[in-house]
Amino acid sequence: MYLYDAIDKDILADRTQEFREQVARRLAGEITEDQFKPIRLMNGLYLQLHAYMLRVAIPYGSMDSRQLRMLAQIGRKYDKAYGHFTTRTNLQFHWISLKDTPDILADLASVDMHAIQTSGNCIRNVTADPYAGATAEEIDDPRVWSEAIRQWSSLHPEFSFLPRKFKIAITAAPKDRTAAKVHDIGLVVRRARDGTLGFEVMVGGGLGASPYIGQTIKEFLPASRLFSYLDAILRVYNRLGRRDNRTKARIKILVSSLGAEEFGRQVEAEWEQVGPAGDLPDTELARIRGAFAAHPFETLPTQSEAFERAKAADAAFARFARNNLKPHKKPGYTIVEISLKAIGETPGDMTSDQMDVVADLGARYGSDDIRATHEQNLVLPHVKLDDAHAVYQALAAAGLATPNINLISDIIACPGLDYCALANARAIPVAQDIARRFADQDRAELIGELKIKISGCINACGHHHVGHIGILGVDKKGEEFYQLTLGGSGAEDASVGKVLGPALSADRVAGAIDALVDVYLRERQGEERFLDTYRRTGVTPFKEAVYAEAH
Amino acid sequence: MKALTGNRLDDGEVVFWAAGGWVLQFQDAELFSDPDLAAAAEGEAKGQTKVVVDPYLIDLIESGEHWAPLSYRERLRALGPTNHLGHGKQVEGGAVLEAIAAASGAARSTGRVNLIKRK
Repeated sequence: MYLYDAIDKDILADRTQEFREQVARRLAGEITEDQFKPIRLMNGLYLQLHAYMLRVAIPYGSMDSRQLRMLAQIGRKYDKAYGHFTTRTNLQFHWISLKDTPDILADLASVDMHAIQTSGNCIRNVTADPYAGATAEEIDDPRVWSEAIRQWSSLHPEFSFLPRKFKIAITAAPKDRTAAKVHDIGLVVRRARDGTLGFEVMVGGGLGASPYIGQTIKEFLPASRLFSYLDAILRVYNRLGRRDNRTKARIKILVSSLGAEEFGRQVEAEWEQVGPAGDLPDTELARIRGAFAAHPFETLPTQSEAFERAKAADAAFARFARNNLKPHKKPGYTIVEISLKAIGETPGDMTSDQMDVVADLGARYGSDDIRATHEQNLVLPHVKLDDAHAVYQALAAAGLATPNINLISDIIACPGLDYCALANARAIPVAQDIARRFADQDRAELIGELKIKISGCINACGHHHVGHIGILGVDKKGEEFYQLTLGGSGAEDASVGKVLGPALSADRVAGAIDALVDVYLRERQGEERFLDTYRRTGVTPFKEAVYAEAH
Repeated sequence: MKALTGNRLDDGEVVFWAAGGWVLQFQDAELFSDPDLAAAAEGEAKGQTKVVVDPYLIDLIESGEHWAPLSYRERLRALGPTNHLGHGKQVEGGAVLEAIAAASGAARSTGRVNLIKRK
């Protein structure tokens, strides 16, 4: 992975000291809350319902064991011995004191981490494929480009005060695990017939109150021209984005109002102005690429006898292997998905002790490489099949071996009204109810891939628009209600879900999900997923099942 | 009936107004039946900028023999998160916290409305 150099470390030290002085001035009353708020937000510090929340950046979801151990330690020392992984592959601490924050930032800086650009109208953390460097499907390692974008966008003077926040995703595999089509910019690595590396560039995707699927404005951008093109997109957005109206300030609204063709034309014109001077020198790209040099994998047989024996002897491990182990590009290796969705627990939450367990496993069995996914799980991308059972046993002992990746209980949920000052309704208890209802793993496997995503307000941090079943918490005269949407997808077949009908009270949601699943099991043909069946049958049978009693 | 609440500046803790200062538990909060006295307290609280962030008045309802915040959001602030019952003020237990947990009123929180207005 990329390691910070002396300049990076100096920047973090300076930034921490600057914030230490700003906090002292705020506590002394020398600056007002209105003056201080944008400063603390630029350092990832929000004031929520019960305490301050610190959002720590995990660049493109990639970290090593040293960094995960530090997150565990911060959780123990300054929070309640846990943290919450988000849909932006960041980690949030929900019980933070303002007065402790400079010390926390210093602790983070000691392991090359920070909370810069985890808030504010700037370019946020890049989302990349959590299987980067491990999947055989990828054309190039997206972390190389993610790291280059991280360096380009960090403290970028021209793009630090955009009309609104700005999110970029990069995937290099046909199977999109980044939700690229609902990012402000989605980059898909492509290779031309002559072997040239490049990107398909999509813009204007996004969720929130007005969801949009990103539109392609350039089918093939040579990789060497990426940064001048990003400059051009950001400049057009910076110039024309609706700063006068916060609800219309995201790039998706600009692209929608201009039309993708006209937006693309303006980007091309701006790109001409920027020219190749705006691109990353080959030497710099080579330096960054060197940090992600191919891992020294051992030459192993495709099949592991130890792995096969363990599966035959341990049915629970066999189930874990079916659901949580994914194919690796190298024979004898596997990708291990660690579910943070234990039945009845809070999606994305992880105790400090669990973080230490995964850090140890990553260091011992996983090439010291740990990833966070936008679906609020973790990944050990490089584990030998020979070691998979030992990893499983250690995970199981720590309550981390729930075999439900991509199944109905692998639910995304934002913190919702239990923590968030913006939320209208709780999201976590709804997820817990549904997971408990589908706790039977045999039934969950029978149902197969079904992505439920829950947001506690229209800001859509829980990505409800792109859930196969989406659940949005709404406030009806102060009471929690939940609006269901069906047919969304955040993957390569991206689509925005459609509202099923009137919102339901909290106690009816899990039952409604059960009814939807029953319709799917009744109607499905062959290997259809829930989403496929919905797309074939349309909404009618599902709607009838949920609202039958109202007729 | 109203109470006055905010978040403490140095640690973000939910606090309630009581006799010119701030207390941690709703059961110790000063309750206002006179809207003028409540508004005066809010004005005084807003001046304590080194102590508290964004103080605001909340409406209360009766819950059994006790008062409780009317809005669900404010009841969560007075109790703690429902997914971690070992976190937040609910850990302390007692009749007032139980009354808050059992309350069933519904209204938008003034704090939430202020937040939206500010944006």
